[in-house]
Amino acid sequence: MILHTLNAAPSSSAFADCLKTIAEGDAVLLMGDGVYAAIAQTEASRVLEATKATLYVLADDAMTAGVLNVSAAVSSIDIAGFVALTETFPRQQAWY
Amino acid sequence: MIYSLLILSSPFSGDCSRTAAAFARCAIARGHTVHRVFFLDTGTLASAANSVSAQDEDTALQSWAELADLHSVELAICITSALKHGMFDQTEADRNKCPFSTMDPAFTMSGLGQLVDAYASSDRLITFGG
Repeated sequence: MILHTLNAAPSSSAFADCLKTIAEGDAVLLMGDGVYAAIAQTEASRVLEATKATLYVLADDAMTAGVLNVSAAVSSIDIAGFVALTETFPRQQAWY
Repeated sequence: MIYSLLILSSPFSGDCSRTAAAFARCAIARGHTVHRVFFLDTGTLASAANSVSAQDEDTALQSWAELADLHSVELAICITSALKHGMFDQTEADRNKCPFSTMDPAFTMSGLGQLVDAYASSDRLITFGG
């Protein structure tokens, strides 16, 4: 069970590398430039949804980037939600 | 739980350094301990004492310094990265013939061993990069 914090644009190699390592039971938190992958009906959100991971987006970062139409499969969380995820997941992998 | 953080992000590019400081504040508010924050690469710029931001802008430096003041969070700066980025405490300023310190006193010069120690002595090590 790994918490992937994905702070990289969907066009980046970090994004592609992250996708390859996501396993069932993992969670992905989109933050920074990663929030663009939360936009509904995009190729990036579709490939993320096709993984078995639970998807989250950091609400403040999405708001800063103007990402409003978040995919229904992605839960918006605040910083307390982020801390709560790290309480649940013993390991974190940062992608950037 | 005991947390330590690794900060690789520059405070002048994106919000990641500020997000990390908010994470530390929130973890403490939830009853956790933040043992050490280790700054590496461009993350060391968070200690820039002479950086001036717009009046209506919260700086990452303020956020980190408050964590050190109020919650005794150790702010450890990788000395190799710091010197490359022009961050000197008084000792390094004297040694490198720089006329003044450029690093806020809330931060302490440190080595990678302190990062390994933070990993070994914490329940969680959370990395902030990008």
